[in-house]
Amino acid sequence: MKRKVKVDYARWIFVLPAMIIVGALLIYPIFSSLYYSMTTKHLIRPMYDFVGLANYQDVLTDPDFFKAFFHSIIWTIASLAGQIFIGFTAALCVNRVRHLKGVYRTLMIIPWAFPSIVIALSWKWILNGVSGFIPNMLVQLGICNELPQFLSDSSIVFLTLVMINIWFGAPMIMINVLSALQTIPQDQYEAAQIDGASKGQQFLHITFPHIKVVVGLLVVLRTIWIFNNFDIIYLLTGGGPADKTMTVPIYAYNMGWGTKMLGKSSAVTILLLMFLLLVCFIYFAIIAKWEKEEK
Amino acid sequence: MAKKKGIIGNGLCHVYLILLSVIAVFPLIWVLLSSIKTNGELTANPTSFLPKNPTFSNFVHVIEDLVFARNIANSIVIALCTTIIAIVISCMAAYGIVRFFPKLGNIMSKALVTTYLFPPILLAIPYSLVMAKLGLTNTRVGLVIVYLSFSVPYAVWMLVGFFKTVPIGIEEAARVDGANKVQTFVKIVIPLVMPGIVATAIYTFINAWNEFLYALILINSTDMMTVSVKLRSLQGAEILNWGDMMAASTLVVVPSVIFFMLIQKKIASGMAEGAVK
Amino acid sequence: MKKKLAMVLVGTMLMTSLLAGCGSKGEGTNNGGNDGELSGEITFWHSFTQGPRLESIQATADKFMEEHPDVKINIETFSWADFYTKWTTGLASGNVPDMSTALPGHVVEMMDAGAIVPLDDLIDDIGRDKFSEKALSEGEQDEACYSIPLYSHAQVMWYRKDLLSAAGLEVPVTWEEFAKAAKALTKDGVYGCSFPCGSGDMMATRFLNYYVSSAGESLLTEDLQANITSDAAIDGINFWVDIYKNCSPKDSVNYVTLDQANLYYQGKTAFDFNSGFQISGVATNSPNLVDQIDCAPLPKIHEDDPDYGAETSNIPMVVWQNSEHPEICKAFMKELYEPETYTEFLMATPVGMLPSITGISDTEEYQANETVQKYAHAEEVITKTMDLGTAIGFEHGPSVQAGLLTSQSVIENMFQRILVNGEDVEKAAQEAEDELNELFSTIQ
Repeated sequence: MKRKVKVDYARWIFVLPAMIIVGALLIYPIFSSLYYSMTTKHLIRPMYDFVGLANYQDVLTDPDFFKAFFHSIIWTIASLAGQIFIGFTAALCVNRVRHLKGVYRTLMIIPWAFPSIVIALSWKWILNGVSGFIPNMLVQLGICNELPQFLSDSSIVFLTLVMINIWFGAPMIMINVLSALQTIPQDQYEAAQIDGASKGQQFLHITFPHIKVVVGLLVVLRTIWIFNNFDIIYLLTGGGPADKTMTVPIYAYNMGWGTKMLGKSSAVTILLLMFLLLVCFIYFAIIAKWEKEEK
Repeated sequence: MAKKKGIIGNGLCHVYLILLSVIAVFPLIWVLLSSIKTNGELTANPTSFLPKNPTFSNFVHVIEDLVFARNIANSIVIALCTTIIAIVISCMAAYGIVRFFPKLGNIMSKALVTTYLFPPILLAIPYSLVMAKLGLTNTRVGLVIVYLSFSVPYAVWMLVGFFKTVPIGIEEAARVDGANKVQTFVKIVIPLVMPGIVATAIYTFINAWNEFLYALILINSTDMMTVSVKLRSLQGAEILNWGDMMAASTLVVVPSVIFFMLIQKKIASGMAEGAVK
Repeated sequence: MKKKLAMVLVGTMLMTSLLAGCGSKGEGTNNGGNDGELSGEITFWHSFTQGPRLESIQATADKFMEEHPDVKINIETFSWADFYTKWTTGLASGNVPDMSTALPGHVVEMMDAGAIVPLDDLIDDIGRDKFSEKALSEGEQDEACYSIPLYSHAQVMWYRKDLLSAAGLEVPVTWEEFAKAAKALTKDGVYGCSFPCGSGDMMATRFLNYYVSSAGESLLTEDLQANITSDAAIDGINFWVDIYKNCSPKDSVNYVTLDQANLYYQGKTAFDFNSGFQISGVATNSPNLVDQIDCAPLPKIHEDDPDYGAETSNIPMVVWQNSEHPEICKAFMKELYEPETYTEFLMATPVGMLPSITGISDTEEYQANETVQKYAHAEEVITKTMDLGTAIGFEHGPSVQAGLLTSQSVIENMFQRILVNGEDVEKAAQEAEDELNELFSTIQ
C-alpha cells in the first residue's frame, strides 16, 4: 500500500510542470478573455460594464466581420492546398530522382528558415512597385506594359499573399512527406510491380495509405497555423488595400488596438477560437478513423 | 520502353525541382545581393543582378549605429532559454503521459494540441496585463514565459510520438535491474529518443526565434527588442533605407538558414516518426 | 541519476533568475527631498530612433546625470508607427514611461484618459511668452497646459527645380497649375506626385486637409462632427483621386509616411508635401540633388486667395501621471531648452526641426549652420506657414475627435475604397463621415 502511494506521487511529478504552464498561460487567459468579451472593457479607460452577449451580437451583425471571416477561410484553404500540392509533388520528385537529392532538399528548405519579418521585408522589396526586381523584370521582358503592383492591385494582392505563404509553407510539407515516403518498405513496390500494378495504383494503394496519417497531422497543424497567422499579412499589407486582405486576426487586432474596444475584440477572438475548435474536432475524428484502420 | 519513360520522367522531375529550387532560393539571394549595394544603385537599376561597387557600408551602419548585435543576442538568449525550459518540461510530461497515463494521456495530449489552437491575438491582451502586474513587461524573462505558452504544448505533442516508440520491454528490464522510475527515464528512455528530442528542440527554437506579435506588444525598449521587432522598427525609422533593411535581414536569416541546412534530416525523421507510430 | 535531473532543473532555474536579473529595473529610490537634490530613476521614451538626434538627447541626458549623480535616466526609443500601440497598451498595463515625446493628436487622448500631468510650472519657468500661443494651446485643457512643444515644423510643397525648368514650367501657385505640372512631369521613370493612403498612417488625411484648408474649411465642423462631405472636401477627394490616377505610382495606396518621402528622396517624384525633413532625406539618399530642391507655400484654389497654413506640427513632450519623479522629468526637460543644448539638438536636422521658442533662430550659432544658410528660402517659407496652421482638426481647438480623425485611418480607408474598389466618391465620403461620427459618439 505504502509503495503504491509513492508511485502515484512520482508519476504526477512528471506531468505537473506542464500542467501548471498550460493552466497559467493558456487556461487562465482564455477565461479572462471570455469574461472581457462580455464587457465594455476599453484598452485605456479603467471603467467598464458587464453587457452580456451584446458584443457578440454586434460582431455577428457586422458585415465586415463576415468579410474578414470569408477572407480567412479562402486564405487558409488556398494556402493549404498550394502548400500541400507543391510540397507533395516536390517530395515525390525528390524521392524519385537519383542524383542531387540532397542538393534539392537543402535548397528547397530555405524559405522555412525565414522569420516572418524577413519574409515580409524581402518580398516587399522584391515586389516593390517602383524599384522591385520582379515588376521591373516583367516590364523589361515585355510581359507587362507597366509596373505590376503586386501588393496594391486589388485583383492580385490576395493571390500574392497566398503565393508568398505557399512559398514559405511548402518546404515543411515536403520535408515531412519525404521522410514519410522513405519509411515505406521497398519490397511492397516490388511485389506490386510483379502483380502488374501501374504507378497510379501503386501510389493509391501503397504510398498514400502509408503517409496519410503524417499528412493528416500536418494538415491539422498547418490549418491552425495559417488560420491564426497574423504576422505575414499584417507585415505585408496590414489587411489593405481597402480591406481586401483583412482576415479575422487582423480584424481583431484593429478592433483591440485601433479602436481600443478590447471587449469586442475579445468577442471576435473567442468566436475565432470556437470555429477552430470545431474544425480541429472534425480533423481529429478523421485521423482517429485512419489510425484505427491502420491497426 | 519502360526505361525510356523512366528517363523522361526523371528528367521532368529534375526540371520541376530546379524550378522550385530557384523560386525557393531567389529571395535569399536577392536579400544578400541587395545588402551589398549602395542605396543609389538599389533604386537606379532595379533589375541589375550583381552590385557594381560592392560595399559593406550597410552592414557597418546596421551594426555600429543601430547596435543590431545586441538584438541578435537578445533573440538567441530568449530562444535558447525557451527551448531548454520547454524541452525539460515537455520531456517529462510526454513520458508521463505515455507511461503512466495511457488512457488519460490520449485525452491529455489532445487537450494540449487544442491549446495550440488558441489564437495568439486572443492571448496577447491578457498576457500584457498579467506581465505588467508581475513587472515583467520589457524583460527577457517575461518573453520567455510567454513563449512557453506555445512551445510547451507543441513540444509535448511531438514528444509523445517519440516516447511511444520506446518498447516497454527495455524499461521493464531496467526496472528489474533495480532502477527506479526517474533513473529509467533519464538513463534508458532519454538516450533512446534523443534524435526526437533534438528535432523538437530545433522546432521550439525556431518558433521562438521567429515570434513577432508578443515581442511587439511586450517589449518597448530598443535594448530588449528581439530581431523581429527591431527589424520592423527599421521600417518605421526616420529614413527608409532598403540597403539597411536587407543587411539586417541578412544578419537574421543567414545563420538561421545555415542552421536549418545542418539539421534538416533530423527534423524530418523526427516529425515523421513521431506522427506515424 | 536523480542528481543529474536535479542539476538540470536547478540550472534552468538559475538561468531564469539570471534573466530576471538582467531584465528587472532598479528599485526607484525615494525623492526624500533632502536639500532639494534630485534623486531617482526615470524612463524617457522618444522617437528619435537613430542618428544625431538620438545622440544629442543621449548626450544631454549624460550631462544631466553627471550634474545630478543620484539621477538615472533610462532612454528607450520607439518608431512613430509603434508609438500608438505602445502607449495605449502600456497604459492598460501600467507600463508607461515617466516622460515621452508624443504627437499632438495623441496628447488630447492622453489628457482625456488622465494619463499625463500639467506642465504649467515648467512652461513658466522657461518663459511662457517664448512659446507660440497656438502651440501651447494644442495641449490645453481646463486652463492647464499638459504638453510642451519640443520643436515645430509645417507642411509645405516641395518641388524639383531642375525638372520644372526642363519642362519650362513655373512653380505652381494654384491646385490646377499643380495638377497640370504634376501630370506633365510624370515621365521617364519620374512620378509627378505620389498620393499616399496606406492604412495605419494619416497621410491621406493630411493631403485632403491641405485642400480643405485651402478652401478655408476644416475636416471637423464647429460642433466637432466629421466634415468629409462638404463641397471643399468632395472637390479635394476628387482632386487627389485625379492625381493618383495620373501622376502616382499605383503602390502608393499602401504608402505610409516614409514610403512617400523616400520617393522624393530618391528623385522619383517631382513634387511632394512635407516639412524641412525633406532636406536631410535628399542629402542622404541623393547627394546629387541637393541643389535642385526647394519649397513653396501650399497651392491655393484661386491665385488671389490669401496665404494659409494647413498643418503645423508642434512635437510635444509630456510627463506621465504614473511617474514617481515628475520633478526630475521637468528639470531634465528644462535642460533640453538651454540655448546651447537646444540649438545643437535642432541642428541634428537643420531646417527640419525648427525652434518652438523664440530667441533661438536669430542667434549666430544657429545661423552658422551650412544647411540653414543654404536653405534660407525654405526656412522662411516654412516658418511663415508654421504661424498660420495647426495640427489636423485643431481648427476649433484640441479635441479627441481630431485625434480620432487621424489615428483610425478612416479617411485612408475611404480613399482605398475609391481607388481600389472604384467606389463612388460621394458615397464613400458619406460612409467615412458616418464611420467617424460613430467613432466620435463612443467617446462621450
